[in-house]
Amino acid sequence: MPYSSRKKTRWYSDSESHGPGSRNRASSGVPLIELRDVSLRFINYADKQYSFKRAVLDLVLRRESPVPVSEFWALRNINLRINHGERVGIVGGNGAGKSTLLRLLARIYPPSSGTVEVRGNVAPLIEMGAGFNAELSGFDNILYNGAMLGFTRPQMLSKVEGIHEFTGLREFADLPLKYYSSGMYMRLAFAIATEIDPEILIIDEALGVGDAAFQERAKDRIFKLLGRSHAVILVSHDMNSLRQLCTRGLWLRQGQLVADGPIETIIDQYLAWTHAAKAS
Amino acid sequence: MDVCTSSSTPQTETFPSAPAPRAPSLWRKRLLEDRVQLPRFWPVIQNLVIQDLRVRYQRSVLGFFWTLLNPLLMMAILSWVFSLLFRGIENYPIYLFAGMVPWGFLSGSVNECALCIIANEALIRKIFVPKLVFPLARILINLVTLLLSMGSLFLLLWPLGARPSLPMILLPAAILLFVAFTLGLSLIVATANTFYRDCGHLVTVFFQAWYFATPIIYRAEDFPAATQWRFRLNPAYYFIELFHDLVYFGKWPQFSSWLLAIVIALASLGIGYAIFKSQEDKMVFRL
Repeated sequence: MPYSSRKKTRWYSDSESHGPGSRNRASSGVPLIELRDVSLRFINYADKQYSFKRAVLDLVLRRESPVPVSEFWALRNINLRINHGERVGIVGGNGAGKSTLLRLLARIYPPSSGTVEVRGNVAPLIEMGAGFNAELSGFDNILYNGAMLGFTRPQMLSKVEGIHEFTGLREFADLPLKYYSSGMYMRLAFAIATEIDPEILIIDEALGVGDAAFQERAKDRIFKLLGRSHAVILVSHDMNSLRQLCTRGLWLRQGQLVADGPIETIIDQYLAWTHAAKAS
Repeated sequence: MDVCTSSSTPQTETFPSAPAPRAPSLWRKRLLEDRVQLPRFWPVIQNLVIQDLRVRYQRSVLGFFWTLLNPLLMMAILSWVFSLLFRGIENYPIYLFAGMVPWGFLSGSVNECALCIIANEALIRKIFVPKLVFPLARILINLVTLLLSMGSLFLLLWPLGARPSLPMILLPAAILLFVAFTLGLSLIVATANTFYRDCGHLVTVFFQAWYFATPIIYRAEDFPAATQWRFRLNPAYYFIELFHDLVYFGKWPQFSSWLLAIVIALASLGIGYAIFKSQEDKMVFRL
């Protein structure tokens, strides 16, 4: 099967528009995120490096389906709308497609079919060290990461104070990032991602790191973001923090969205299902 | 499986059907997106460039001198060897300089761009960055090297007879065209190498052959007139000739040379861009 053509895939983001328009939309009924029938397929080539030699041989010998290919649908037919001010918690077992979904929303993966529309700028906290440079100092990294998230140097310079305020890492600002502990790293990433006031904040298990005091402050900060009607999407295996933070739950299983509803219901369903699976 | 629910507007049936109604809009959208995204990610490019230059020179005592030493030694060796072979070329070191420094930019850029997507895997898999950023950064790094080494080598060659001339004011234009040409090639190689990892090795060999096929260490005029046309098949020939005219001969290049260089540069850039953009989305799956 060939790659699904671009025609089916509409990839749209107007995260560029930081103008007043993007704020005004908060009151209108347009959802921040809209996924229509989105599927994502990974193709495993027998050896990842489908070599030139092989391509030529396939062409010459007219072999169909070049290498033994195994397909894997990481996401299947996801329909989803996320509105302003929603706090969405995603639950599901390992390999259910939670992180893949987040990456899709962060524009790292394109959908194989369907359309993804993301309106507003996205701050992804998906993996440690995304958009950081270990060689640069903490201060330089604030500017660098800001650039990755679409903010100019002057814009970021005005936010540096607030970031230091929140992280309490001011005295380490000149230290290269490689000497930071993972907790410090995480604090910095979280502070930047929230300080830029993103319309959509995506967090993948990041809250697990950091001490208790920091986790409390992080939760505070997420609530503050929500006061400005921004959306937060959270993946976690910590049901307690999901219950605290989220209002809406999504349950993914084998790449499919099996349940969508209030967080309490979804977590209860999910836990019941895991217990049942364990019992059998 | 590939279900499509994107709201397709009901199209009125026309006969004969309109030719490829969607393709232009797709490319216009890609261009528009790049026009918005690239300025937005300009600080990222800047950072990649500055950081690379800093890392390259921070712990070596001689620093930038190493970038000069390499072409200098090459030129010394070649001057010595070839002054025995080709007696015809006067000021041979300057002739070499005029061709070799731009060539170094071309082969350096293309070879580095072959790896630029793979080398930045960590970034691409973690955060959204327009992938065009990486080849652009590599080109800019090499451009900085080109400008610095051109300037300083020119000064070093002063005792050997390097003198500025009026036509050199067109050098920026020649460099601009050459950068466009290089960028196009780099984009093609960057795309190919991401999908077929053995391309990088082929490119190195290919460039070695191309280097000898281009009049850099010898003059095209030294070959019999009957075989001259072969040089005209080589797209790099026109750019190198521009540099020879401007730097070595100090004369105004013919208008036709400029026109050909412009056409080749734009064609290379266009093809490279088209190939890169059409595969850009799939790259993340091949890392």
